[in-house]
Amino acid sequence: MSNRGLEPERVSGPILQIEDLWVSYRSYGAAPRLALRGVDLAVERGEIVGLVGESGAGKTTLARSIMGVVPPPGALEGGRVCFDGRDLTKVPREDLRKLRGRELAMVVPNPRGELNPLTRVGHQVANIARVHLGLSKAQAKEAALEIFKAVSIPDPERRYRAYPHELSGGMAQRVVIAMALVCSPRFVISDDATSGLDVTVQAQVLELLRALVRDKGSAMLYITRDIGVAAHFCDRIAILYEGEVVEAADKSMLFTDPKHPYTNMLMAAFAQNPDLRRRWHLGRPTRFAEAGRPGQRCSYAGRCVKARPSCVEVRPELRALRPDHLVRCLYPVER
Amino acid sequence: METVLEVAGLYKSFSLPGSRRKVQAVNGVSFTLKRGETLALVGESGSGKTTVGRCVLGLEEPTRGRVLFRGEELSRRNNVRRPHLRGRIQLVFQEPAESLDPRMRIGASIEEPLKALGMPASERAGRVEAVIRRVNLPAAVLDHYRTSLSAGQQQRVGIARAIVTDPAVVVLDEPTSALDPTARAEIIDLLLEIQKATDTSYLLISHDLSAVHYISHRIAVMYLGMIVEQGPAAEVFRRPRHPYTVGLLSSVLLPDPEIRRPTTVSLKGEIPSPIDLPKACFLAGRCPFATEICRRSMPPSEEIAPGHLVHCYHHEQVAQIDQPSDTFAEFQASAERVLGVDVLGADMDEETPRGRRRWASSTAK
Repeated sequence: MSNRGLEPERVSGPILQIEDLWVSYRSYGAAPRLALRGVDLAVERGEIVGLVGESGAGKTTLARSIMGVVPPPGALEGGRVCFDGRDLTKVPREDLRKLRGRELAMVVPNPRGELNPLTRVGHQVANIARVHLGLSKAQAKEAALEIFKAVSIPDPERRYRAYPHELSGGMAQRVVIAMALVCSPRFVISDDATSGLDVTVQAQVLELLRALVRDKGSAMLYITRDIGVAAHFCDRIAILYEGEVVEAADKSMLFTDPKHPYTNMLMAAFAQNPDLRRRWHLGRPTRFAEAGRPGQRCSYAGRCVKARPSCVEVRPELRALRPDHLVRCLYPVER
Repeated sequence: METVLEVAGLYKSFSLPGSRRKVQAVNGVSFTLKRGETLALVGESGSGKTTVGRCVLGLEEPTRGRVLFRGEELSRRNNVRRPHLRGRIQLVFQEPAESLDPRMRIGASIEEPLKALGMPASERAGRVEAVIRRVNLPAAVLDHYRTSLSAGQQQRVGIARAIVTDPAVVVLDEPTSALDPTARAEIIDLLLEIQKATDTSYLLISHDLSAVHYISHRIAVMYLGMIVEQGPAAEVFRRPRHPYTVGLLSSVLLPDPEIRRPTTVSLKGEIPSPIDLPKACFLAGRCPFATEICRRSMPPSEEIAPGHLVHCYHHEQVAQIDQPSDTFAEFQASAERVLGVDVLGADMDEETPRGRRRWASSTAK
């Protein structure tokens, strides 16, 4: 396998390639806050890539940047988002609108907020098929019913006529997933879409997403703050910390040999051993918390157990320690 | 050890407006809580965990059954609002942000329960300062407002406010589910620390099985207002005997792709509505073991090991196929292997380490 994260422009290259993406949120009277700082990420066809980070790491901003819908006052500062070879940041608005929903789809959390409360859920799904695939009313209904069956909605005919408030949370989440998948998009982003579900239902929905991605040969970016779910559901995982990808690797490597101290700390947070957690400095600031200049230091140095003076002198690059294992750290963990 | 809380045959139903049907939220729950012990009520949303917690606090009047605090029955008249019971049973909320008044300083929020107890102002200040130290926050936080604190810090304040009255029982309603993994781990450690120092009993309401495994002595698995399985935590996690518990445990995903329970039970569909429940096993519609008898009558409670109670006709069948395994303990071993490396390794002393040189060569390509 080649170095996927860094190697651009292959003919049958990754379906999605993000290169050096910078996004900032401006506010009056203050310096713009950088939400994404040079993110590099590639997703191959047929692959599920996990993006793991805590709240405020920039996960949702990244998802919205891919869709071209960064909410104001957010602005793209630089970089490229290549979807199937086309740079989405340069595609005209109208073309992007056609792409969204058809080729690129996003599943968001809070399904009830996503659905129109005054329209039957079946119509909402069918409308997407009518608009994007140009189907007739009857064909669209058929497509919607088919996707309802595919996402294991029991009694699809009845649920087709239901209003959002008549559905349970798990069922509404399935409808939102059906909405995202009805046009068989080639790329699906799931933004924390299963975290609100109960664990037994989450297990079913994940199973379903995986089957649908595999069957249709699509690819998926699975955004979550739960590194445990990512470990079981994704093929490759990128760890996001303060707007930077700090580590990206195949899951087998990431969990047997995590290189970035932050990744180690995230795993230690699940361990029931206080010594292990103390070893990785859970949550305590270090002597480098205020040192150096922002943007020209390691963003994790303020919490990192391995931090040294050189960590706050220069911003580490994302580099390949071995094929398919990238890390942004001057002193990766040795085992 | 002394029993501080006893819940016996608790039922709670709510009427639906404009209908004779009832929401049967709690259907015959019994458990005891000893001093210094943590009992976890686990289950999915809609299983009635929170309603049990509210009945214990006297915020809901049980439809049937009794709640005894140190042998004294709690009821609508004799509840946590009575002077001698006030502050003895406290609550920590799920959403720390929503449970704190945004216009009150943190110090005032923590002080409020003490005012309700009628403690003189001279004593209150000292208590508030002691409790803020106890939850590992700097005293300066007392002058702040809620909005300047992180979610983890807000939850510490929530805990401080609950323990400031020195309660015997704290009901923890999903104390970690709104938090990031690191803040969550800190809160769990803090709760353990407090219990060790003060011998407080916890009734932990949670669906976070990882947190439950860490801090609970006993667990009670709830499904549609019933405790379907109850027992010592280590035993239930290792040898679950109710199909629902096995299903719940097989859905646990820990950060090691190799760790999965060897036996899994996949439950179909989701938790049904608690309106007009059948007089049979509530899980029958989702359970792969269900037979005719499960759809006809309610399985009785059976004690299959000391203190291990199961409500299932087919628990022996579950025992036959289930291989004992504790994924949390397995993850613990794997985490110690992977994360137990010497962090401050030998190359710590040199300031131009190998790592940096390698980095320099890789960028010079």
